[in-house]
Amino acid sequence: MSIKLEQLCKIYNADTDFPVHAVNHLDLEIKQGEFVAVMGPSGSGKTTLLNMLGGIDTPTSGKVLIDGNNILQLHDKQLIAFRRDNIGFIFQDYSLLPVLTALENVEFVMQLQGHSEQECRKRATDLLIRVGLAEHLHKRPAKLSGGQQQRVAVARALAPSPKFVMADEPTANLDAKSTAELLDIMQQLNEQEGTTFIFSTHDPRVISRAKRVIVFEDGLKKEDTVQTEVSQ
Amino acid sequence: MLVKLAWRNLWRQKRRTILTASALALALILSLVMRCIQEGSYSANIENIARLSTGLIQLQHPEFKESQSIDDLLSAEPSFIDFARQVSTVETVLPRIESFALAASGDKSKGILVLGIDPQPEDDYSSLSRKVISGSYFGDPNNKSDKPQVLIAEGLAQQLNLKAGDELVLYGQGYRGQTAAGLFIIQGIVHFPMPQLNNQLVYMPLEAAQRLYSTGDLVTSWVLHTDSLADVEQAVSALKNHYTQAVNVRDWLDLSPDLAQQILMDRSSGLILMYLLYGIVGFGLFATLLMMTLERQREFAVMLATGLLRIKLLKLICIESAFIALLGIIIGLLISFPILIWLLFNPITLTGETAQLMLEMGYDPVIPVLLAPQLFINQIVVVLALLALCLIYPLRRLYKIDLVCALKGGAHAA
Repeated sequence: MSIKLEQLCKIYNADTDFPVHAVNHLDLEIKQGEFVAVMGPSGSGKTTLLNMLGGIDTPTSGKVLIDGNNILQLHDKQLIAFRRDNIGFIFQDYSLLPVLTALENVEFVMQLQGHSEQECRKRATDLLIRVGLAEHLHKRPAKLSGGQQQRVAVARALAPSPKFVMADEPTANLDAKSTAELLDIMQQLNEQEGTTFIFSTHDPRVISRAKRVIVFEDGLKKEDTVQTEVSQ
Repeated sequence: MLVKLAWRNLWRQKRRTILTASALALALILSLVMRCIQEGSYSANIENIARLSTGLIQLQHPEFKESQSIDDLLSAEPSFIDFARQVSTVETVLPRIESFALAASGDKSKGILVLGIDPQPEDDYSSLSRKVISGSYFGDPNNKSDKPQVLIAEGLAQQLNLKAGDELVLYGQGYRGQTAAGLFIIQGIVHFPMPQLNNQLVYMPLEAAQRLYSTGDLVTSWVLHTDSLADVEQAVSALKNHYTQAVNVRDWLDLSPDLAQQILMDRSSGLILMYLLYGIVGFGLFATLLMMTLERQREFAVMLATGLLRIKLLKLICIESAFIALLGIIIGLLISFPILIWLLFNPITLTGETAQLMLEMGYDPVIPVLLAPQLFINQIVVVLALLALCLIYPLRRLYKIDLVCALKGGAHAA
């Protein structure tokens, strides 16, 4: 499964004298199993790009093709189902449901897919163990550190077995140790399960781990480099 | 999962949840107590007025309501009234003759209302003997007179300068145009606090009235009383089915339209007050529900992004709101029920002139409460309707939530 963007444009304030081209006629292809970092300064359009890749935002023009199908043509319900089954999200501020435990947060997305309670419990537990939270399954987010919360968020993003994971500056609020641990986990999952990770970041620690780095500026792709030497 | 999530969300802001539920509970308590007292006093008034004059139900000739004529009569045969006696909720059945006559004494005369009654059952029903202020009630063994006896109202006695033991001539029109005339001994004088009754009522035993008006074994009406006011509707329906068009079955609303109108107006003002109270509480509830949705836009956006359908998100908010309402209802019922039970056994006692007036009428000077399931159900329905009304706008905003803007935590996301 691959994502292909064709002439993708997102213009804010299009009707005013000062339109903002967040994404400007972008052509891009990301293949299954890639570990991609989209980097650029604040306001360069990274988050907007990720939102459109994930079907959260709609472009002003252009196409978002996933396996050749334009997801912009999907109805609201179909798009939600597509997102639920194929795309996982990791947010900068973790965005866990505060009233649910780590385990329940991970189970929640699977329950939306209609899995049985047992299936949800088993996979959620496995994922949390894999991200190193075996002893924190029943803790609510408020009782976890930032790094632990982001690991729960990773487990949540992976729970529905998505093809792609969109991570919007996932390490922005983490210290060096937590960042390294989190990146280890994501790299492992990428290599073992073939899950595609797409990061928006300006964190050099993430960039150094990415196999492909896309530099984004003023809505334009400035560079697109495949890194042969990736830090471990 | 949604129910679990909703329940836990409720306790994220404990103080706000408890305050909102308490406001609902307070409105429920005040409304419930007010309505139960209001309906209790209406029931007591209707019951009292019914016992004093009309009864809760009357069977009349179909023409009698319009004509008020002594020609439009019903049978007094047991076979005729047996069905009414067998209606399980009917506790009292009384025959009456009700007509007009001219009362004369000496050189004075006055138009009066004659009520022919069955003395003992009527006394059991309306405690008429307790209203006798001079002389005695029918059936006094000390009275040896062979002339027919009457009780006359105090005001009428004063107008005609009469006292117990005096003679009274009644003259009018009897059944089918016959002359109705008779000489009666005044057995006693009764006092009614209501002037319209006190100035024109003359009671006589049913047989005497039948003789006066030459009606034979006929009556103008059968007066019925049910176990409770709530049974009237069902009893009327059963009676109408049985007697069909041959008998006019009239309930208290038809018999006492002034009282019905007065209750309707009073009830309306009570309801307006109640809705005002709910309106004030409604604003608080609306603010809570709106805050509950606006402050969690980013959270909702994340849920939607991860695959929750919008309709399920709305369901989540509805469940949370329903929990608040339920909490309010439970608290409200838990507090109001013991209060109402206490008031049921210890009704508010009136004092002063009002109490005196009620005592004169033969009633207990108290304001009773009515504990009817319908009153409770109505209040719960009002709370739920209020909740539904307050939810419309927050749900609408949530349904239209802009995912991208909400993920950024934007104020205009919804």
